[in-house]
Amino acid sequence: VPEAAAGRLGPPGKNVSNNSKMAEVKSMFREVLPKQGQLSVEDVTTMVLCKPKLLPLKSLTLEKLEKMQQAAQDTVRQQEMAEKQRQITH
Amino acid sequence: MGSEMEPLLLAWSYFRRRKFQLCADLCTQVLEKSPYDQEPDPELPVSQAAWILKARALTEMVYVDEVDVDQEGIAEMILDENAIAQVPRPGTSLKLPGTSQSGGPSQAVRPVTQAGRPITGYLRPSTQSGRPGTMEQAIKAPRTAYTARPITSSSGRFVRLGTASMLTSPDGPFINLSRLNLTKYSQKPKLAKALFEYIFHHENDVKTALDLAALSTEHSQYKDWWWKVQIGKCYYRLGMYREAEKQFKSALKQQEMVDTFLYLAKVYIALDQPVTALNLFKQGLDKFPGEVTLLCGIARIYEEMNNISSATEYYKEVLKQDNTHVEAIACIGSNHFYSDQPEIALRFYRRLLQMGVYNCQLFNNLGLCCFYAQQYDMTLTSFERALSLAENEEETADVWYNLGHVAVGIGDTNLAHQCFRLALVNNNHHAEAYNNLAVLEMRQGHVEQARALLQTASSLAPHMYEPHFNFATISDKIGDLQRSYAAAQKSEAAFPDHVDTQHLIKQLKQHFAML
Repeated sequence: VPEAAAGRLGPPGKNVSNNSKMAEVKSMFREVLPKQGQLSVEDVTTMVLCKPKLLPLKSLTLEKLEKMQQAAQDTVRQQEMAEKQRQITH
Repeated sequence: MGSEMEPLLLAWSYFRRRKFQLCADLCTQVLEKSPYDQEPDPELPVSQAAWILKARALTEMVYVDEVDVDQEGIAEMILDENAIAQVPRPGTSLKLPGTSQSGGPSQAVRPVTQAGRPITGYLRPSTQSGRPGTMEQAIKAPRTAYTARPITSSSGRFVRLGTASMLTSPDGPFINLSRLNLTKYSQKPKLAKALFEYIFHHENDVKTALDLAALSTEHSQYKDWWWKVQIGKCYYRLGMYREAEKQFKSALKQQEMVDTFLYLAKVYIALDQPVTALNLFKQGLDKFPGEVTLLCGIARIYEEMNNISSATEYYKEVLKQDNTHVEAIACIGSNHFYSDQPEIALRFYRRLLQMGVYNCQLFNNLGLCCFYAQQYDMTLTSFERALSLAENEEETADVWYNLGHVAVGIGDTNLAHQCFRLALVNNNHHAEAYNNLAVLEMRQGHVEQARALLQTASSLAPHMYEPHFNFATISDKIGDLQRSYAAAQKSEAAFPDHVDTQHLIKQLKQHFAML
């Protein structure tokens, strides 16, 4: 069935050669699917990475609050600077 | 000059155009010209108008919607006597996040906050950090510059804003509250309302505001719902939740308003009664069907209770009513991302971009979604944009951290190493970056460095299970079984369902039994 599907998908002129090539490949490599016996998998504990972090968007209120806080801090700093300047000049 | 405008009219015009500083300055000039005392002269309506306009302009400058404002200090949380049940049943409290009841993504996929909740897609003043459940947790929480909370809310942002507003006027405050004759103002309802807002928002003097509101509501013979809501707001700020509840309920009887529902729900959330709050919101929805803020309130509560699927349902309901609701879009988007559907998350974030949201966080999220949805062409450009838009070092650190993941994904270990290093340069409290760097060091066989990094990570963020688990794994490998066991137990405490941790503990117990 898969070969027929491949044939339908491929361009119509090259169907034959494609199919024959695939048939050759198939005859060279055959998958091994054991139906008897034990299957063993070694479970190795690996270290875990922390996960990628989507950043939360900020609400407008929060942005406004932060902006106001920043502005307040700036004014405080400016006033302190002005104070210092005055002390130096006196 | 004949073309000059009447100053008061101009001030009004400034006010309407939201140029509050100009408006206030102009009002000051008007008040200086006309005989101006501490209180407006009743004989001079112009000066009275200028006075009240200035108060309103100053209020508007620092106005923050009271529904949104909430910041709990450590003292409020620890000494919280308001919660009804100290040991609440699961699903009835906001303090116990609960193991995800509804099949939301597990901790192995979605990072959690300190309080053990999955990180949200949207940040509001009250979501900045969940409330810790116990005293121990509250004190143990590491004080990094990023997570520090004020000791009490009365030393928090409100007061700082209040003093800030005073700083800007060099001649002292505009209205000297202690000299104010409140009884006189409560007789004039129009003046009183503006004055109340000024005292409450600008001066942040809740007690005086409460006095004024109490006198005014008396003057209106308890018939004005607005004053009742204001009294409730004051009680809420003062931490008297039961009194606030009474006022809001009484106001609702007189006049049903969406705002009042929201305030009352806030009281119930402060009392740690999310189920009552949910019922209240649903009552509100009966009166105001499809009201977005109420729907959104329900979704937020569900999200805080770790019931992600119900939260998403309500966020979708929000989007049906208002399809430009940023919070709903962001939350649904992040939910899709962490439930393994990055391509759908990408559509939500792209919608935000179309709506004009333009910041570092959005581009970072777009970059991550693009990468995991295999749209590699957009990934790096998004991250570049995010880096250029970052406003502070914490944001830059987060972007570099996520870029590190991209580098790990394409197998470029060197680049990943550099990215995580850069994240740490920008924010040396970035616990996740320490952990991931340790994993990379371990791959190169540098055991000692990895151990040191992991120890830093676990002391910075004890709520994350990854550093504990990794430390346990390394210690197990080099034969330090005792330390391995201690770390594994911490990891189990942080994430009880982690299979590998359980496995490791079982193995270690067998070892100890054999000795």
